[in-house]
Amino acid sequence: MRVIDLALKDLSQIIRDKKSALFLVIMPIVFTGFMGLALGRGTQTDSRLPLGFVTADASGILSQNLQSMLNESKTLRVVSATDETQAAEQVQQGTLAAALIVPANFSAGTLAGDTVNLKLIADVNTPGGATARQAVQAIVARVLSMAQVGKLSVEQINAVQPFSSDAARQTTMLNAIAEASHAWRDPQLTVTMEDAYAAKTSSAPSSFAQSSPGMMVMFAVFGLTTTAMLLVTERKTRTLQRMITTGMSRAEIIAGHVLAMFVVVFAQELLLVLVGQMVFGVNYAREPLAIALVMAALALWTASLGLLIGVLAKVEDQAAWWSRIAMFVFSALGGAWFPLEVTGQTFAMIGHLMPSAWAMDGFQNIVVRGLAFGSVLAPAGILLAYAAGFFGLAVWRFRFE
Amino acid sequence: MQNGKAIRVEKLTKNFGEHLAVQGISFAVQQGEILSLLGPNGAGKSTTISMLAGLLAPTDGDAFVMGHSIRSDGAAAKKALGVVPQDLALYPDLSARENLTFWGKMYGLRGSALKQRVDETLQVIGLADRQKGRIDTFSGGMKRRVNIGVALLHKPQVVIMDEPTVGIDPQSRRHILDNVKDLNRQGMTVLYTTHYMEEAAELSNHIAIMDHGKVIAFGTHDELIKLVGEQARLELTLNVEANRVMDAWQHVEGVSRVTGSDGKLTVLADDSNRVLPRLFESATRAGGRITSVEIHEPNLEAVFLHLTGRALRD
Repeated sequence: MRVIDLALKDLSQIIRDKKSALFLVIMPIVFTGFMGLALGRGTQTDSRLPLGFVTADASGILSQNLQSMLNESKTLRVVSATDETQAAEQVQQGTLAAALIVPANFSAGTLAGDTVNLKLIADVNTPGGATARQAVQAIVARVLSMAQVGKLSVEQINAVQPFSSDAARQTTMLNAIAEASHAWRDPQLTVTMEDAYAAKTSSAPSSFAQSSPGMMVMFAVFGLTTTAMLLVTERKTRTLQRMITTGMSRAEIIAGHVLAMFVVVFAQELLLVLVGQMVFGVNYAREPLAIALVMAALALWTASLGLLIGVLAKVEDQAAWWSRIAMFVFSALGGAWFPLEVTGQTFAMIGHLMPSAWAMDGFQNIVVRGLAFGSVLAPAGILLAYAAGFFGLAVWRFRFE
Repeated sequence: MQNGKAIRVEKLTKNFGEHLAVQGISFAVQQGEILSLLGPNGAGKSTTISMLAGLLAPTDGDAFVMGHSIRSDGAAAKKALGVVPQDLALYPDLSARENLTFWGKMYGLRGSALKQRVDETLQVIGLADRQKGRIDTFSGGMKRRVNIGVALLHKPQVVIMDEPTVGIDPQSRRHILDNVKDLNRQGMTVLYTTHYMEEAAELSNHIAIMDHGKVIAFGTHDELIKLVGEQARLELTLNVEANRVMDAWQHVEGVSRVTGSDGKLTVLADDSNRVLPRLFESATRAGGRITSVEIHEPNLEAVFLHLTGRALRD
């Protein structure tokens, strides 16, 4: 109960501070709009992951269906590549998230019942590579199921009345595949799947889908200025010491402050998500639980970072400066200002040393890539691991004087 | 309750690296009394209090608050204590009432009991009419009073006050000293630290004089004065030659020595209140008249000077 009382006191102080409204509410909203307009006007980028597509089976029915479904993907953007070597180089350079190599006998061999392997070149240690592989696997599975439907249809019909010719057999096969393809594109029944591509349109997401989560991450970190300073002021005014004389334990004091910081950041995120959804048209609502999970993980990470800054800073100025530095480093390197996919593999890898990059991945897996709940588990888990790390450091370094 | 002792300090020691801040001190505070720790800055008073309040862990020794060890039963010891820190430990952006309410919650008070105690405390510290004012708009004295009020919220059996009158105006100082006496009259035990000998003399049943981390003298005010055996020194001016009264004054009861020349005399006496009327009477009989008197009573400053060779405020 005292933990909650302490958190409520912190919140009351934050709410009364007029600067809080500026930094926690007004500036994030203004910057979301400004950055969204700037990104939209300046780049018009298609933020889908670039996938190199090399096929030696261009006329094959399955290969054609595969390319068609890849073209319709909300996660992947098909980029033609001349050959496997060139595609592999591009993946290595980071200009492609992955490359899919289709062998010459893919369609014929698969329909004949042979095992024909597609080749996917990707660095699955990067979020882009991992996401591309996930998306490609889902589409390939559909194509293979279409082939299976075609084969089964032919066998069933042949069992009742044998085909008069190979041409008739071939025509039936193609019709069955076409039917299956149609069924995939316009299903009578839909279920939510991890790799469901339920978007009604294939148009690229708006630039606000970058700026909204980006500014949310940036200002969540920036909001630490307020919360970290609370702790510094508390130490300076000796109220932290006085708490010890009331019989409050160190754990209760830390928990109370972290709870307040968590609530502040989460409330700010909630506001920005609502504004993003209703004003800027960013579709957070399509996976609310996933968004809530990433928000909570982000809030816990920033709360623990705020606690760490508050613990280490001796005076208010230090707390303010360190919060600002944290904001710039985590925002710039973590992809809050621009998508890491456009920066190349090396920068993207460095960026993913920042927890903020994982927060961006979590949000963008939902609002940009159209993925489902499962896609945010890894980013949220990594954020929580960072939160635990920062929290442990803060507790270790916590001093009353 | 450990033979009526509210606080019992046993060989309490605190080292900061090589620096011996408190060196194995022992003393006791009886229930219902005011004990002052008197000493110059750096004597170890605040370190002693910080250990009693649970802010610092002792290097050695132990202390007991209402029978609870600060080392093995710290939570119970803290519950029995109200601590008034030397620095203002308040939230400047909250009002007096909000501060008291928050700290009341930290002491575990809730609901109507909390409201009642906050109201009572505001009355005690004399700030009921300013309860909605923000702390950062208060004078130094008013802040000090709220600082004290926080420590009284949970009706502790023992209050520790660490130099509560430092840096405030005389009026607020008077208010605080009166508050301390009122609280004591209501049965509260007070451990009071100060480097103002006048406060220690006015408030205390017992005084422990500290210097360089040690208790160098302990007793009542009178016992400490007697410790150094200093008498009151009276400086008198006469309208006649001094030798006309000197012989007579040497034989006045209570006078131990008379020195001087011309019209000025210095008289050493055990009790200036009893001796002074006799000196007036004797001077009149000798045909003289006393035109001015200065009384220098023996004080704790003199005791400290006697014990350490230094002035209390050095």
